[in-house]
Amino acid sequence: MDYLYSYLILAEIYVLLGLSTNLLVGVVGIFSVSQAAVFGVGAYIVGDCLLSGTLSFLPALALAAVACVLLNVLISLPSLRVSGDYFVVTSFGIQLLATATFTNWTWGTGGANGMPGVPPPDLFGASIESTRGILALTTMAMTLGCLAFWLILRAPFGRKLRAIREDELAVAAAGKGVLGAKVSAAAMAGAFAGVAGGLYATYLSFIDPSSFDLDASILLLTMVVVGGARTLWGSILGPFLLLALPQALTLLAIPTTYAATSRQLLYGGLLIAFALFRPQGLLGERL
Amino acid sequence: MSAYLEIAGVNHSFGGLQALNDCGFAIAEGGIACLVGPNGAGKTTIFNVITGFLRPDTGHVAFRGRPLDGLTPQAIVRAGIARSFQNLRLFADLTACDNVMLALPERAGETPFGALFRPFATARADRRRRGDALQLLDHVGLAARAADRVRNLSYGEQKLLTIARLLATGAELLLLDEPASGLASGALDQVMALLRRLRGEGKTLLVVEHNTRVVQQIADEVLFLHQGHLLAQGSPAQIIADPALAEIYFGGAL
Ligand SMILES: Nc1ncnc2c1ncn2[C@@H]1O[C@H](COP(=O)(O)OP(=O)(O)OP(=O)(O)O)[C@@H](O)[C@H]1O
Ligand SMILES: [Mg+2]
Repeated sequence: MDYLYSYLILAEIYVLLGLSTNLLVGVVGIFSVSQAAVFGVGAYIVGDCLLSGTLSFLPALALAAVACVLLNVLISLPSLRVSGDYFVVTSFGIQLLATATFTNWTWGTGGANGMPGVPPPDLFGASIESTRGILALTTMAMTLGCLAFWLILRAPFGRKLRAIREDELAVAAAGKGVLGAKVSAAAMAGAFAGVAGGLYATYLSFIDPSSFDLDASILLLTMVVVGGARTLWGSILGPFLLLALPQALTLLAIPTTYAATSRQLLYGGLLIAFALFRPQGLLGERL
Repeated sequence: MSAYLEIAGVNHSFGGLQALNDCGFAIAEGGIACLVGPNGAGKTTIFNVITGFLRPDTGHVAFRGRPLDGLTPQAIVRAGIARSFQNLRLFADLTACDNVMLALPERAGETPFGALFRPFATARADRRRRGDALQLLDHVGLAARAADRVRNLSYGEQKLLTIARLLATGAELLLLDEPASGLASGALDQVMALLRRLRGEGKTLLVVEHNTRVVQQIADEVLFLHQGHLLAQGSPAQIIADPALAEIYFGGAL
Protein backbone atom coordinates (compact mmCIF):
# COMPACT_ATOMS: atom_id res chain seq x y z
CA MET A 1 0.00 0.00 0.00
CA ASP A 2 2.78 2.40 0.94
CA TYR A 3 4.31 1.60 -2.37
CA LEU A 4 1.17 2.72 -4.21
CA TYR A 5 0.90 5.90 -2.12
CA SER A 6 4.48 6.78 -2.82
CA TYR A 7 3.90 6.31 -6.55
CA LEU A 8 0.76 8.47 -6.47
CA ILE A 9 2.44 11.26 -4.50
CA LEU A 10 5.42 11.42 -6.83
CA ALA A 11 3.21 11.19 -9.91
CA GLU A 12 1.06 14.06 -8.66
CA ILE A 13 4.11 16.20 -8.01
CA TYR A 14 5.32 15.41 -11.50
CA VAL A 15 1.92 16.38 -12.92
CA LEU A 16 2.56 19.88 -11.57
CA LEU A 17 5.94 19.81 -13.30
CA GLY A 18 4.32 18.43 -16.45
CA LEU A 19 1.83 21.30 -16.42
CA SER A 20 4.67 23.75 -15.98
CA THR A 21 6.63 22.28 -18.88
CA ASN A 22 3.56 21.88 -21.08
CA LEU A 23 2.57 25.50 -20.54
CA LEU A 24 5.99 26.82 -21.40
CA VAL A 25 7.11 24.39 -24.11
CA GLY A 26 3.84 23.00 -25.44
CA VAL A 27 1.53 26.01 -25.32
CA VAL A 28 3.77 29.05 -25.74
CA GLY A 29 6.59 27.30 -27.58
CA ILE A 30 9.41 28.50 -25.31
CA PHE A 31 11.57 25.40 -25.64
CA SER A 32 13.06 25.17 -22.19
CA VAL A 33 15.36 22.32 -21.18
CA SER A 34 15.89 23.77 -17.71
CA GLN A 35 12.57 23.24 -15.94
CA ALA A 36 14.18 20.81 -13.49
CA ALA A 37 16.49 23.64 -12.37
CA VAL A 38 13.49 25.75 -11.38
CA PHE A 39 11.99 22.70 -9.65
CA GLY A 40 15.24 22.36 -7.72
CA VAL A 41 15.29 25.97 -6.59
CA GLY A 42 11.77 25.50 -5.20
CA ALA A 43 12.84 22.34 -3.40
CA TYR A 44 15.98 23.84 -1.87
CA ILE A 45 14.20 27.03 -0.75
CA VAL A 46 11.53 25.08 1.10
CA GLY A 47 14.13 22.66 2.45
CA ASP A 48 16.30 25.49 3.77
CA CYS A 49 13.40 27.39 5.31
CA LEU A 50 12.03 24.35 7.12
CA LEU A 51 15.44 23.06 8.25
CA SER A 52 16.43 26.41 9.69
CA GLY A 53 12.96 26.93 11.09
CA THR A 54 12.71 30.44 9.64
CA LEU A 55 9.34 29.78 8.00
CA SER A 56 6.63 27.18 8.33
CA PHE A 57 5.51 25.12 5.33
CA LEU A 58 2.94 27.34 3.64
CA PRO A 59 4.93 30.58 3.82
CA ALA A 60 8.01 28.66 2.65
CA LEU A 61 6.02 27.25 -0.26
CA ALA A 62 4.80 30.74 -1.13
CA LEU A 63 8.36 32.05 -0.99
CA ALA A 64 9.51 29.22 -3.25
CA ALA A 65 6.69 29.96 -5.70
CA VAL A 66 7.54 33.66 -5.84
CA ALA A 67 11.26 32.98 -6.25
CA CYS A 68 10.57 30.49 -9.04
CA VAL A 69 8.22 32.93 -10.77
CA LEU A 70 11.02 35.50 -10.84
CA LEU A 71 13.63 32.94 -11.82
CA ASN A 72 11.56 31.43 -14.62
CA VAL A 73 10.72 34.85 -16.03
CA LEU A 74 14.38 35.76 -15.91
CA ILE A 75 15.58 32.60 -17.64
CA SER A 76 12.80 32.79 -20.23
CA LEU A 77 13.73 36.35 -21.15
CA PRO A 78 16.28 35.30 -23.78
CA SER A 79 13.40 33.64 -25.66
CA LEU A 80 12.00 37.10 -26.29
CA ARG A 81 15.16 38.04 -28.15
CA VAL A 82 16.63 34.93 -29.71
CA SER A 83 14.63 32.55 -31.83
CA GLY A 84 13.68 28.97 -30.96
CA ASP A 85 16.83 27.03 -31.74
CA TYR A 86 19.11 29.45 -29.96
CA PHE A 87 16.94 29.53 -26.89
CA VAL A 88 17.46 25.79 -26.45
CA VAL A 89 21.18 26.49 -26.26
CA THR A 90 20.84 29.23 -23.64
CA SER A 91 18.40 27.10 -21.69
CA PHE A 92 20.85 24.21 -21.78
CA GLY A 93 23.48 26.53 -20.33
CA ILE A 94 21.13 27.62 -17.56
CA GLN A 95 20.51 23.99 -16.62
CA LEU A 96 24.24 23.30 -16.43
CA LEU A 97 24.79 26.42 -14.32
CA ALA A 98 22.03 25.36 -11.95
CA THR A 99 23.42 21.84 -11.55
CA ALA A 100 26.87 23.27 -10.85
CA THR A 101 25.38 25.57 -8.22
CA PHE A 102 23.32 22.83 -6.57
CA THR A 103 26.40 20.59 -6.46
CA ASN A 104 28.94 23.13 -5.21
CA TRP A 105 27.09 25.60 -3.06
CA THR A 106 27.40 23.39 0.00
CA TRP A 107 26.17 26.03 2.43
CA GLY A 108 22.79 26.44 0.71
CA THR A 109 22.14 23.01 -0.74
CA GLY A 110 24.36 20.52 1.03
CA GLY A 111 26.23 20.10 -2.23
CA ALA A 112 26.63 16.70 -3.83
CA ASN A 113 25.88 14.98 -0.51
CA GLY A 114 22.41 16.40 -0.63
CA MET A 115 20.15 17.92 2.00
CA PRO A 116 18.90 15.36 4.52
CA GLY A 117 16.30 15.71 7.21
CA VAL A 118 13.86 18.12 5.63
CA PRO A 119 10.89 18.16 8.03
CA PRO A 120 7.51 16.98 6.77
CA PRO A 121 4.99 19.61 5.65
CA ASP A 122 2.85 21.25 8.27
CA LEU A 123 -0.47 22.99 7.96
CA PHE A 124 -1.61 25.52 10.55
CA GLY A 125 0.75 24.21 13.20
CA ALA A 126 0.02 20.50 12.69
CA SER A 127 2.74 18.44 11.09
CA ILE A 128 1.62 16.04 8.36
CA GLU A 129 3.53 12.86 9.05
CA SER A 130 1.37 10.19 7.47
CA THR A 131 1.76 9.23 3.83
CA ARG A 132 -1.98 9.56 3.43
CA GLY A 133 -1.88 13.11 4.70
CA ILE A 134 0.81 14.00 2.21
CA LEU A 135 -1.14 12.31 -0.56
CA ALA A 136 -4.12 14.49 0.33
CA LEU A 137 -1.86 17.54 0.16
CA THR A 138 -0.34 16.68 -3.21
CA THR A 139 -3.75 15.73 -4.58
CA MET A 140 -5.04 19.14 -3.61
CA ALA A 141 -2.05 20.90 -5.13
CA MET A 142 -2.36 18.90 -8.34
CA THR A 143 -6.08 19.58 -8.57
CA LEU A 144 -5.53 23.31 -8.16
CA GLY A 145 -2.77 23.22 -10.76
CA CYS A 146 -4.97 21.33 -13.22
CA LEU A 147 -7.81 23.75 -12.65
CA ALA A 148 -5.55 26.73 -13.30
CA PHE A 149 -4.13 25.12 -16.44
CA TRP A 150 -7.61 24.33 -17.75
CA LEU A 151 -8.92 27.82 -17.01
CA ILE A 152 -5.97 29.39 -18.77
CA LEU A 153 -6.22 27.22 -21.86
CA ARG A 154 -9.90 27.82 -22.41
CA ALA A 155 -9.68 31.59 -21.91
CA PRO A 156 -8.81 34.19 -24.55
CA PHE A 157 -5.43 34.37 -22.87
CA GLY A 158 -4.82 30.71 -23.73
CA ARG A 159 -5.81 31.36 -27.33
CA LYS A 160 -3.29 34.17 -27.45
CA LEU A 161 -0.56 31.91 -26.07
CA ARG A 162 -1.27 29.26 -28.71
CA ALA A 163 -1.24 31.90 -31.41
CA ILE A 164 2.10 33.20 -30.14
CA ARG A 165 3.58 29.74 -30.50
CA GLU A 166 2.48 29.64 -34.13
CA ASP A 167 3.35 33.14 -35.26
CA GLU A 168 4.39 36.02 -33.02
CA LEU A 169 4.45 38.50 -35.86
CA ALA A 170 0.86 37.73 -36.81
CA VAL A 171 -0.18 38.24 -33.19
CA ALA A 172 1.49 41.65 -33.23
CA ALA A 173 -0.24 42.46 -36.53
CA ALA A 174 -3.56 41.67 -34.85
CA GLY A 175 -2.77 44.45 -32.39
CA LYS A 176 -1.89 42.17 -29.49
CA GLY A 177 1.10 42.40 -27.19
CA VAL A 178 3.37 39.39 -27.22
CA LEU A 179 5.86 40.23 -24.49
CA GLY A 180 3.44 40.49 -21.58
CA ALA A 181 1.74 37.22 -22.48
CA LYS A 182 5.02 35.34 -22.68
CA VAL A 183 6.18 36.74 -19.37
CA SER A 184 2.88 35.82 -17.69
CA ALA A 185 3.08 32.27 -19.01
CA ALA A 186 6.67 31.91 -17.83
CA ALA A 187 5.60 33.22 -14.43
CA MET A 188 2.83 30.66 -14.11
CA ALA A 189 5.12 27.85 -15.19
CA GLY A 190 7.61 29.01 -12.57
CA ALA A 191 4.99 28.99 -9.81
CA PHE A 192 3.97 25.42 -10.68
CA ALA A 193 7.56 24.22 -10.62
CA GLY A 194 8.31 26.01 -7.35
CA VAL A 195 5.33 24.46 -5.57
CA ALA A 196 6.22 21.05 -6.97
CA GLY A 197 9.75 21.50 -5.60
CA GLY A 198 8.50 22.33 -2.13
CA LEU A 199 6.20 19.30 -2.04
CA TYR A 200 8.98 17.08 -3.32
CA ALA A 201 11.49 18.19 -0.68
CA THR A 202 9.08 17.78 2.22
CA TYR A 203 7.77 14.43 1.03
CA LEU A 204 11.16 12.78 0.42
CA SER A 205 12.86 14.68 3.26
CA PHE A 206 16.11 14.16 1.35
CA ILE A 207 17.02 15.99 -1.84
CA ASP A 208 20.19 16.07 -3.88
CA PRO A 209 21.24 17.59 -7.22
CA SER A 210 20.52 14.40 -9.18
CA SER A 211 16.77 15.10 -9.02
CA PHE A 212 17.22 18.48 -10.67
CA ASP A 213 19.74 17.83 -13.43
CA LEU A 214 19.54 17.76 -17.20
CA ASP A 215 18.23 14.18 -17.16
CA ALA A 216 15.34 15.37 -15.01
CA SER A 217 14.60 18.23 -17.42
CA ILE A 218 14.59 15.80 -20.30
CA LEU A 219 12.30 13.48 -18.37
CA LEU A 220 9.85 16.39 -18.06
CA LEU A 221 10.01 16.97 -21.81
CA THR A 222 9.47 13.26 -22.38
CA MET A 223 6.35 13.43 -20.23
CA VAL A 224 4.96 16.22 -22.39
CA VAL A 225 5.84 14.40 -25.61
CA VAL A 226 4.35 11.09 -24.47
CA GLY A 227 1.25 12.57 -22.81
CA GLY A 228 0.73 15.11 -25.56
CA ALA A 229 1.21 18.85 -25.78
CA ARG A 230 -1.35 21.50 -24.94
CA THR A 231 -3.97 19.34 -23.25
CA LEU A 232 -4.76 18.85 -19.59
CA TRP A 233 -5.23 15.09 -19.97
CA GLY A 234 -1.93 14.75 -21.75
CA SER A 235 -0.17 16.60 -18.92
CA ILE A 236 -1.71 14.22 -16.40
CA LEU A 237 -1.20 10.98 -18.30
CA GLY A 238 2.47 11.60 -19.17
CA PRO A 239 3.80 11.70 -15.58
CA PHE A 240 1.59 8.86 -14.33
CA LEU A 241 2.68 6.66 -17.20
CA LEU A 242 6.38 7.46 -17.18
CA LEU A 243 6.71 7.01 -13.44
CA ALA A 244 4.91 3.67 -13.64
CA LEU A 245 7.15 2.28 -16.37
CA PRO A 246 10.31 1.83 -14.23
CA GLN A 247 8.16 -0.04 -11.70
CA ALA A 248 6.92 -2.27 -14.50
CA LEU A 249 10.54 -2.87 -15.45
CA THR A 250 11.33 -4.14 -11.97
CA LEU A 251 8.74 -6.86 -12.57
CA LEU A 252 10.94 -8.06 -15.40
CA ALA A 253 13.55 -8.88 -12.78
CA ILE A 254 16.31 -6.79 -14.28
CA PRO A 255 19.34 -6.73 -11.96
CA THR A 256 19.44 -3.49 -9.98
CA THR A 257 22.81 -2.53 -11.42
CA TYR A 258 21.12 -2.20 -14.81
CA ALA A 259 17.97 -0.54 -13.52
CA ALA A 260 19.15 3.05 -13.93
CA THR A 261 20.56 2.38 -17.37
CA SER A 262 17.47 0.56 -18.50
CA ARG A 263 15.36 3.49 -17.35
CA GLN A 264 17.41 5.90 -19.47
CA LEU A 265 17.14 3.50 -22.40
CA LEU A 266 13.41 3.31 -21.96
CA TYR A 267 12.91 7.07 -21.77
CA GLY A 268 15.24 7.70 -24.69
CA GLY A 269 13.52 5.06 -26.79
CA LEU A 270 10.09 6.49 -25.98
CA LEU A 271 11.20 9.98 -26.93
CA ILE A 272 12.42 8.81 -30.32
CA ALA A 273 9.46 6.54 -30.97
CA PHE A 274 6.90 9.22 -30.16
CA ALA A 275 8.69 11.92 -32.11
CA LEU A 276 8.73 9.65 -35.15
CA PHE A 277 5.45 7.79 -34.95
CA ARG A 278 3.10 9.68 -32.71
CA PRO A 279 4.15 13.34 -32.45
CA GLN A 280 0.80 14.30 -30.95
CA GLY A 281 1.45 12.06 -27.94
CA LEU A 282 -1.25 9.88 -26.45
CA LEU A 283 -3.79 12.54 -25.57
CA GLY A 284 -2.56 15.79 -27.01
CA GLU A 285 -1.21 17.67 -29.99
CA ARG A 286 2.21 17.73 -31.57
CA LEU A 287 4.82 19.74 -29.71
CA MET B 1 -5.42 70.14 -44.21
CA SER B 2 -3.19 67.13 -43.80
CA ALA B 3 -3.71 63.94 -45.79
CA TYR B 4 -5.33 60.81 -44.39
CA LEU B 5 -2.22 58.65 -44.71
CA GLU B 6 0.99 60.40 -45.60
CA ILE B 7 4.39 58.90 -46.27
CA ALA B 8 7.35 61.21 -46.82
CA GLY B 9 10.99 60.70 -47.69
CA VAL B 10 11.25 57.07 -46.61
CA ASN B 11 14.56 55.36 -47.31
CA HIS B 12 15.45 51.88 -46.29
CA SER B 13 18.32 49.57 -47.19
CA PHE B 14 18.80 45.89 -46.53
CA GLY B 15 22.56 45.61 -46.45
CA GLY B 16 23.59 47.11 -49.76
CA LEU B 17 20.16 46.88 -51.35
CA GLN B 18 18.10 50.07 -51.32
CA ALA B 19 14.55 48.70 -51.03
CA LEU B 20 12.93 52.10 -50.49
CA ASN B 21 14.34 55.19 -52.12
CA ASP B 22 12.85 58.54 -51.09
CA CYS B 23 9.46 56.91 -51.10
CA GLY B 24 6.57 59.30 -50.55
CA PHE B 25 2.86 59.42 -51.26
CA ALA B 26 -0.45 60.27 -49.68
CA ILE B 27 -3.85 58.69 -49.89
CA ALA B 28 -7.27 60.13 -49.11
CA GLU B 29 -9.89 58.71 -46.80
CA GLY B 30 -12.39 56.29 -48.34
CA GLY B 31 -11.97 54.30 -51.50
CA ILE B 32 -9.56 51.70 -52.73
CA ALA B 33 -6.03 52.64 -53.65
CA CYS B 34 -4.01 50.00 -55.47
CA LEU B 35 -0.26 49.83 -55.01
CA VAL B 36 1.34 48.31 -58.09
CA GLY B 37 4.87 47.76 -59.29
CA PRO B 38 7.19 45.01 -60.47
CA ASN B 39 8.49 42.29 -58.15
CA GLY B 40 10.91 43.72 -55.65
CA ALA B 41 9.62 47.28 -56.08
CA GLY B 42 9.30 47.65 -52.30
CA LYS B 43 5.53 47.27 -51.89
CA THR B 44 5.72 44.87 -48.97
CA THR B 45 8.57 46.86 -47.47
CA ILE B 46 6.53 50.07 -47.39
CA PHE B 47 3.69 48.12 -45.73
CA ASN B 48 6.18 46.98 -43.10
CA VAL B 49 7.25 50.57 -42.54
CA ILE B 50 3.71 51.92 -42.25
CA THR B 51 2.65 49.23 -39.78
CA GLY B 52 5.69 49.49 -37.52
CA PHE B 53 7.28 46.15 -38.41
CA LEU B 54 10.27 47.88 -39.93
CA ARG B 55 11.92 51.07 -38.73
CA PRO B 56 13.07 52.94 -41.85
CA ASP B 57 16.53 54.47 -42.10
CA THR B 58 14.92 57.86 -42.68
CA GLY B 59 11.47 59.28 -43.39
CA HIS B 60 8.09 59.75 -41.79
CA VAL B 61 4.63 58.25 -41.74
CA ALA B 62 1.60 60.14 -40.49
CA PHE B 63 -2.00 59.06 -40.10
CA ARG B 64 -4.73 61.71 -39.77
CA GLY B 65 -1.94 64.18 -39.16
CA ARG B 66 -0.49 62.20 -36.28
CA PRO B 67 3.08 60.93 -36.70
CA LEU B 68 3.43 57.16 -36.35
CA ASP B 69 7.22 57.07 -36.31
CA GLY B 70 8.60 54.71 -33.68
CA LEU B 71 5.25 53.25 -32.64
CA THR B 72 4.96 49.49 -32.15
CA PRO B 73 2.77 47.42 -34.50
CA GLN B 74 0.35 47.05 -31.62
CA ALA B 75 0.01 50.81 -31.14
CA ILE B 76 -0.45 51.31 -34.88
CA VAL B 77 -3.34 48.83 -34.95
CA ARG B 78 -4.90 50.78 -32.10
CA ALA B 79 -4.40 53.97 -34.09
CA GLY B 80 -6.55 52.40 -36.80
CA ILE B 81 -4.24 50.78 -39.36
CA ALA B 82 -4.05 47.02 -39.84
CA ARG B 83 -2.33 44.90 -42.47
CA SER B 84 -2.47 41.46 -43.97
CA PHE B 85 0.51 39.42 -45.11
CA GLN B 86 1.44 38.29 -48.59
CA ASN B 87 2.07 34.82 -47.14
CA LEU B 88 -1.11 34.96 -45.00
CA ARG B 89 0.45 34.07 -41.64
CA LEU B 90 -2.73 32.51 -40.32
CA PHE B 91 -2.63 30.37 -37.17
CA ALA B 92 -2.83 27.01 -38.90
CA ASP B 93 -3.55 24.93 -35.78
CA LEU B 94 -6.38 27.17 -34.60
CA THR B 95 -9.90 27.17 -35.97
CA ALA B 96 -11.09 29.83 -38.39
CA CYS B 97 -13.21 31.29 -35.60
CA ASP B 98 -10.27 31.40 -33.15
CA ASN B 99 -8.15 33.19 -35.75
CA VAL B 100 -10.75 35.95 -35.93
CA MET B 101 -11.42 36.04 -32.19
CA LEU B 102 -7.75 36.54 -31.51
CA ALA B 103 -7.75 39.77 -33.47
CA LEU B 104 -10.81 41.31 -31.81
CA PRO B 105 -9.85 44.28 -29.64
CA GLU B 106 -8.70 43.42 -26.13
CA ARG B 107 -11.31 43.19 -23.42
CA ALA B 108 -11.41 41.82 -19.90
CA GLY B 109 -10.46 38.16 -19.63
CA GLU B 110 -7.53 38.36 -21.92
CA THR B 111 -5.20 38.58 -18.96
CA PRO B 112 -4.19 35.49 -17.00
CA PHE B 113 -5.62 37.14 -13.92
CA GLY B 114 -9.09 37.37 -15.42
CA ALA B 115 -8.86 33.83 -16.74
CA LEU B 116 -8.01 32.46 -13.28
CA PHE B 117 -10.04 34.57 -10.93
CA ARG B 118 -13.04 35.65 -12.98
CA PRO B 119 -13.66 32.49 -15.01
CA PHE B 120 -17.40 32.99 -15.44
CA ALA B 121 -17.16 36.60 -16.55
CA THR B 122 -14.34 35.57 -18.87
CA ALA B 123 -16.43 32.78 -20.40
CA ARG B 124 -19.36 35.14 -20.88
CA ALA B 125 -17.18 37.77 -22.54
CA ASP B 126 -15.70 35.09 -24.75
CA ARG B 127 -19.14 33.94 -25.88
CA ARG B 128 -19.86 37.50 -26.98
CA ARG B 129 -16.56 37.59 -28.82
CA ARG B 130 -17.44 34.33 -30.53
CA GLY B 131 -20.67 35.94 -31.69
CA ASP B 132 -18.77 38.91 -33.09
CA ALA B 133 -16.28 36.62 -34.80
CA LEU B 134 -19.03 34.51 -36.37
CA GLN B 135 -20.59 37.66 -37.76
CA LEU B 136 -17.31 38.65 -39.37
CA LEU B 137 -16.86 35.14 -40.79
CA ASP B 138 -20.37 35.34 -42.19
CA HIS B 139 -19.47 38.69 -43.71
CA VAL B 140 -16.66 37.15 -45.74
CA GLY B 141 -18.67 34.03 -46.55
CA LEU B 142 -16.92 31.61 -44.20
CA ALA B 143 -19.63 31.05 -41.59
CA ALA B 144 -19.82 27.36 -42.47
CA ARG B 145 -16.10 26.84 -41.83
CA ALA B 146 -15.96 28.56 -38.42
CA ALA B 147 -15.11 25.43 -36.44
CA ASP B 148 -12.59 24.05 -38.93
CA ARG B 149 -8.88 24.27 -38.40
CA VAL B 150 -7.19 26.62 -40.81
CA ARG B 151 -4.93 23.88 -42.17
CA ASN B 152 -8.05 22.21 -43.56
CA LEU B 153 -9.30 25.28 -45.41
CA SER B 154 -8.73 25.79 -49.13
CA TYR B 155 -6.33 28.51 -50.23
CA GLY B 156 -9.21 30.73 -51.30
CA GLU B 157 -10.89 30.29 -47.93
CA GLN B 158 -7.65 31.11 -46.17
CA LYS B 159 -7.37 34.34 -48.14
CA LEU B 160 -10.90 35.31 -47.13
CA LEU B 161 -10.05 34.44 -43.54
CA THR B 162 -7.09 36.84 -43.54
CA ILE B 163 -9.55 39.58 -44.46
CA ALA B 164 -11.93 38.57 -41.67
CA ARG B 165 -9.04 38.63 -39.21
CA LEU B 166 -8.06 42.06 -40.49
CA LEU B 167 -11.61 43.35 -40.03
CA ALA B 168 -11.67 41.99 -36.48
CA THR B 169 -9.04 44.50 -35.43
CA GLY B 170 -11.59 47.23 -36.03
CA ALA B 171 -9.05 49.26 -38.00
CA GLU B 172 -10.37 51.83 -40.46
CA LEU B 173 -7.42 51.72 -42.87
CA LEU B 174 -6.68 48.25 -44.19
CA LEU B 175 -3.44 47.41 -45.96
CA LEU B 176 -3.87 44.23 -47.98
CA ASP B 177 -0.82 42.55 -49.46
CA GLU B 178 -1.94 40.70 -52.61
CA PRO B 179 -5.33 39.55 -51.35
CA ALA B 180 -6.31 38.26 -54.80
CA SER B 181 -3.12 36.58 -55.99
CA GLY B 182 -3.22 32.88 -56.74
CA LEU B 183 -7.00 32.67 -56.80
CA ALA B 184 -9.15 30.99 -59.43
CA SER B 185 -11.75 33.21 -61.04
CA GLY B 186 -14.62 32.25 -58.73
CA ALA B 187 -12.73 33.04 -55.56
CA LEU B 188 -11.23 36.11 -57.24
CA ASP B 189 -14.68 37.55 -57.90
CA GLN B 190 -15.61 36.82 -54.30
CA VAL B 191 -12.59 38.74 -52.98
CA MET B 192 -13.18 41.68 -55.33
CA ALA B 193 -16.84 41.90 -54.31
CA LEU B 194 -15.78 41.80 -50.65
CA LEU B 195 -13.26 44.62 -51.10
CA ARG B 196 -15.90 46.77 -52.79
CA ARG B 197 -18.33 46.03 -50.00
CA LEU B 198 -15.76 47.11 -47.42
CA ARG B 199 -15.29 50.36 -49.30
CA GLY B 200 -19.07 50.81 -49.14
CA GLU B 201 -18.90 50.36 -45.38
CA GLY B 202 -16.51 53.27 -45.04
CA LYS B 203 -13.16 51.47 -44.83
CA THR B 204 -10.15 52.83 -46.65
CA LEU B 205 -8.13 50.20 -48.48
CA LEU B 206 -4.59 50.19 -49.76
CA VAL B 207 -4.17 47.04 -51.81
CA VAL B 208 -1.09 45.55 -53.41
CA GLU B 209 -2.21 43.92 -56.62
CA HIS B 210 -0.43 42.54 -59.68
CA ASN B 211 -3.37 41.65 -61.88
CA THR B 212 -4.23 44.66 -64.09
CA ARG B 213 -7.74 43.35 -64.69
CA VAL B 214 -8.36 43.34 -60.94
CA VAL B 215 -6.80 46.80 -60.56
CA GLN B 216 -9.07 48.16 -63.27
CA GLN B 217 -12.11 46.72 -61.60
CA ILE B 218 -11.57 47.78 -58.00
CA ALA B 219 -9.16 50.72 -57.85
CA ASP B 220 -10.27 54.31 -57.37
CA GLU B 221 -6.65 55.32 -57.55
CA VAL B 222 -3.40 53.62 -58.52
CA LEU B 223 0.07 54.21 -57.09
CA PHE B 224 2.99 52.94 -59.11
CA LEU B 225 6.11 52.01 -57.19
CA HIS B 226 9.40 51.26 -58.90
CA GLN B 227 12.75 50.57 -57.26
CA GLY B 228 11.47 51.83 -53.96
CA HIS B 229 10.25 55.13 -55.34
CA LEU B 230 6.76 56.34 -56.23
CA LEU B 231 6.83 56.93 -60.01
CA ALA B 232 3.24 57.84 -60.65
CA GLN B 233 -0.15 58.21 -59.01
CA GLY B 234 -3.47 58.58 -60.83
CA SER B 235 -6.66 56.97 -62.02
CA PRO B 236 -6.45 53.34 -63.20
CA ALA B 237 -7.04 54.42 -66.78
CA GLN B 238 -4.18 56.96 -66.65
CA ILE B 239 -1.68 54.57 -65.14
CA ILE B 240 -2.52 51.60 -67.30
CA ALA B 241 -2.50 53.70 -70.47
CA ASP B 242 1.00 55.07 -69.77
CA PRO B 243 3.37 53.25 -72.12
CA ALA B 244 6.47 54.10 -70.07
CA LEU B 245 4.96 52.46 -66.96
CA ALA B 246 3.81 49.45 -68.97
CA GLU B 247 7.35 49.03 -70.21
CA ILE B 248 8.67 49.00 -66.62
CA TYR B 249 5.90 46.79 -65.41
CA PHE B 250 6.03 44.15 -68.08
CA GLY B 251 9.71 44.61 -68.86
CA GLY B 252 10.96 42.32 -71.57
CA ALA B 253 7.69 40.44 -71.64
CA LEU B 254 6.10 42.85 -74.13
N1 LIG C 1 14.22 41.28 -44.84
C1 LIG C 1 14.86 41.54 -46.01
N2 LIG C 1 16.20 41.37 -46.09
C2 LIG C 1 16.85 41.61 -47.24
N3 LIG C 1 16.27 42.06 -48.36
C3 LIG C 1 14.94 42.25 -48.34
C4 LIG C 1 14.17 41.98 -47.17
N4 LIG C 1 12.87 42.26 -47.44
C5 LIG C 1 12.84 42.67 -48.72
N5 LIG C 1 14.08 42.68 -49.28
C6 LIG C 1 14.42 43.10 -50.62
O1 LIG C 1 13.87 44.40 -50.81
C7 LIG C 1 13.33 44.55 -52.08
C8 LIG C 1 11.89 44.96 -51.97
O2 LIG C 1 11.17 43.85 -51.47
P1 LIG C 1 9.60 43.85 -51.28
O3 LIG C 1 9.26 42.57 -50.62
O4 LIG C 1 9.16 45.09 -50.62
O5 LIG C 1 9.08 43.83 -52.78
P2 LIG C 1 7.60 43.73 -53.31
O6 LIG C 1 7.34 44.95 -54.10
O7 LIG C 1 6.67 43.42 -52.21
O8 LIG C 1 7.73 42.50 -54.30
P3 LIG C 1 6.72 41.31 -54.61
O9 LIG C 1 5.82 41.82 -55.68
O10 LIG C 1 7.61 40.23 -55.11
O11 LIG C 1 6.02 40.95 -53.37
C9 LIG C 1 13.53 43.22 -52.80
O12 LIG C 1 14.68 43.32 -53.61
C10 LIG C 1 13.74 42.25 -51.70
O13 LIG C 1 14.59 41.20 -52.10
MG1 LIG D 1 5.51 41.84 -51.69
